[in-house]
Amino acid sequence: MEEKITFTLNGMPRTVEVDPETMLVEVIRDVLDLTGTKVGCDNGTCGSCTVVMNGRAVKSCITPVRKAAGADVVTIEGLAKGMTLHPIQKSISESGAVQCGFCTPGIIMELYGLFEAKPTASQAEIETALNKHLCRCTGYEPIRDGALMAQKLMQDRK
Amino acid sequence: MEYKYLGKNINRPDAISKVTGKAVYLDDIRLPGMLHAAILRPEYAHAKILGIDTSEAEKMPGVVKVVTGAGCPFRYGDNIRDLQPMAIDRVRYIGEPVAAVVADTPLHARKAMEKIKVSYEPLPVYIDACDAMKSDAVLIQPENGSFWHLPTLQPIPGTNIANVYRLVKGKGEDGFAEADVTVEGEFVYPFGSCAAIEPHGSIVWFKEDQTIEAWSSSICPFIIREDLAHSYGVPVSDVRVHIPDVGGCFGYKSDITVEQTVAWIASFVPGRPVKWVASRKEDFTSTLIGHGMRTFMKIGAKKDGTLVAIKTTVQHSGGAYADTAVNVTMASTHNSTGPYAFEHCDLTGFTVYTNTPPVGAYRGYGHQESQFATERLMDMLARKLNMDPFELREKNFLGEGKTASTGETMFKTNGDIQACLDIIKKEVYAHPQVREDENYYYGRGFAAVFKTPKGAPFSTKGCYMKMNIDGSVSVNMAGAEVGQGLRTVVRQVAAEALKIPPEKVRVYTEIDTQFSPYEWQTIGSMFTTQGGRAIIRAADKLIAILKHTAAQVLKTDEDYLEYDGEYVFLRNDPTVRVAVKDINRGYITDDGITIGDVAQAVSDARLPRYSNPDKNGQGSIGVSYTFGVQAAEIRIEKKSGKITVDHFASSYDVGQVINPKQIRGSVMGGALMAIGATLYEKMEFDAEGRLSNPHFFNYHLPTYKDAPRMTVEFVETPDAVGPFGARGIGEHSVIGAAPAILNAIYNATGVEFYEIPITPEKMKKALDARQEK
Repeated sequence: MEEKITFTLNGMPRTVEVDPETMLVEVIRDVLDLTGTKVGCDNGTCGSCTVVMNGRAVKSCITPVRKAAGADVVTIEGLAKGMTLHPIQKSISESGAVQCGFCTPGIIMELYGLFEAKPTASQAEIETALNKHLCRCTGYEPIRDGALMAQKLMQDRK
Repeated sequence: MEYKYLGKNINRPDAISKVTGKAVYLDDIRLPGMLHAAILRPEYAHAKILGIDTSEAEKMPGVVKVVTGAGCPFRYGDNIRDLQPMAIDRVRYIGEPVAAVVADTPLHARKAMEKIKVSYEPLPVYIDACDAMKSDAVLIQPENGSFWHLPTLQPIPGTNIANVYRLVKGKGEDGFAEADVTVEGEFVYPFGSCAAIEPHGSIVWFKEDQTIEAWSSSICPFIIREDLAHSYGVPVSDVRVHIPDVGGCFGYKSDITVEQTVAWIASFVPGRPVKWVASRKEDFTSTLIGHGMRTFMKIGAKKDGTLVAIKTTVQHSGGAYADTAVNVTMASTHNSTGPYAFEHCDLTGFTVYTNTPPVGAYRGYGHQESQFATERLMDMLARKLNMDPFELREKNFLGEGKTASTGETMFKTNGDIQACLDIIKKEVYAHPQVREDENYYYGRGFAAVFKTPKGAPFSTKGCYMKMNIDGSVSVNMAGAEVGQGLRTVVRQVAAEALKIPPEKVRVYTEIDTQFSPYEWQTIGSMFTTQGGRAIIRAADKLIAILKHTAAQVLKTDEDYLEYDGEYVFLRNDPTVRVAVKDINRGYITDDGITIGDVAQAVSDARLPRYSNPDKNGQGSIGVSYTFGVQAAEIRIEKKSGKITVDHFASSYDVGQVINPKQIRGSVMGGALMAIGATLYEKMEFDAEGRLSNPHFFNYHLPTYKDAPRMTVEFVETPDAVGPFGARGIGEHSVIGAAPAILNAIYNATGVEFYEIPITPEKMKKALDARQEK
């Protein structure tokens, strides 16, 4: 029942031997030991488990690992380059968007997926992306502020 | 007042670890040899357990041990010792632990758990206190009255009433004789979940050397330590509790909740750490839930609008174990006056056993439930008196020289609620009201609110600080960082108190009872007040040590010296000085002889003069007050009944803003949480006590698109207790939303609601009924 599945995780090829129906989040957290991806529910509602797969934000708690075979997967641990934060991480850390921090990695990955695919995403598109995530702490305004700051930083960088 | 480091936006010390995914929460902890537990929940919310067959489960792969509650010799609890770690002969709520499997992986534990067979004999189920209080109700806790409890509690044996709290001020109910007009109503604030995005979890390890080590997603490490020590008969010093980063609390990770259950399970596999993390469903059904409160309230006033008397009866559905509910009931009851002065008060709070998960702390701690009644009735009273609702409130504010229900006198230093109201008038009422159009009704409403902590005689917070060789300072405390940002507050208050830049203050990360100074628990919006005082006290001691050493170096008296963070110097001649970095480990003289002490200090701080209430509920119980006003501008869609909050404004007198960005975030989060309770959130228990919506897809938390534009403003009247005049604010933002929105609904449509949440269906039905009239 277990199968060998290979995918790229944060730029490194990884092979795991698991039941292909195992959810990707369990493989990332429990097999590959990257605990930055969080679990807040088990049915894709809260968004805490969001990772980017082949350039798109996906909820890893409802994505069977078989779907990741051959894919390019990025988690929150894959964004910073050494001591240099990704612009989304920098903006989110400074805009007041972080309180308990449990929803934060998922939201950052959602924005990463969005901005990599569409650097000029409209505010409405950003808001639709944020609406897929639950945050119990902030009232969302500082997260939106952080997202807009990040978009500007990323555009200025180019 | 202007301070060097307060009122400034410095970034959170934990922001970087949280945005890089490196912050360590409970479920991220891996220990050598760690096992995993799965816990079986019952099929019935109230039943006798006739038998448990674990034989099939024991044969499953990976299983190390199957555990039941049989033989558990103790109950636990801090207020009423009625809790047990696992059901023994009966189950009392749908999420109660019945049995557990310990296995090598979580999956193996879950698979084996499904093989446990339990037979039950169902008993009648009571969800609402009003049913459980009936004289013929079956007893949920037949031993009620014989459990150990705090001497201030009054259980009624032979009933489901776990406690009756009474407060009588002035002539009590007889005071209504002085009233010309009365208004009354029955208001319901239903069960809700704090629903932090991180579910509860614990790891417990019974070690071969007889010590116990635990990790938990909790805000009460010292309570857990004392409780486990008591239950397992070891010295408190032999229990070590760690608190990692906590992914949100909002109340329900306080007291002791899941830790005793995980400890009971782990005690059967000594030598191995056992981890358990709640599924979202378990987080709803098997930890503390909130509210469950029915408030009957009557208010009496003179013709001119002077309030004279209030009678409140709170029926609190406390859940199957009442330990954690009793104090919520009390806080709700004694602060049900709202921010008003009543000469006569007759306030009663019943905490009642019901067949739901235990009810406990939820951000607001009883205040939003009873002041929902107060602030709806104040609007009704204004209409009855044909008086402006602002004027009615202004006339009766609990201002300087007035006494609260507890008999405490208010001073100017308790804050300026009138200034808060003036801000709301300007932000919400200065522009003309939007007129009804083809698609929408528009309305606005407000609520004036207040909150005090629920203290305790031993409520205190400790601070240990040491100055390092380069003049930087390490501050160690035991306040649990759940997102509220208290570590930023510690950094800023310590910087101000020590007169050094915040960058030179390093704040503790995890809490570990082995190293952390004692703190009662991080509850009641008290950390800034108590913890801030502890920091200032420790800093004063540390500076005194520096001056003591400097006095010897500079050959003068200590009281002739000044300290500026870098130097200690003569008051009249700053050029005669010694650098702090040369004396903070003692001063080494030319010949190597060292004089003076190391600059390190420890201190703590309580709520000064907190007392237990007397038999009439009078005493110094509130101690630390924060007042404020909130208002909502709403829109109701005619077709669907859907309510949209377009603008929500909050204004509090917080004494002194420490970090503007953080305090705004805290208030916005609280306001949105309470908007959720007002419009969407309700735990739906059916008649059998089963929860029909234990998931985020059917228990709707507000999302981005539900969030209104927010106005958040503060008044700064310095407080007499808190550090640099600061007051508590963590919970206050949740109190006003329900009455403000319901007052706005009345303003828009003339419909009176007494119970939340106001779903579109409920609103539509009410609009249709109104048209039929």
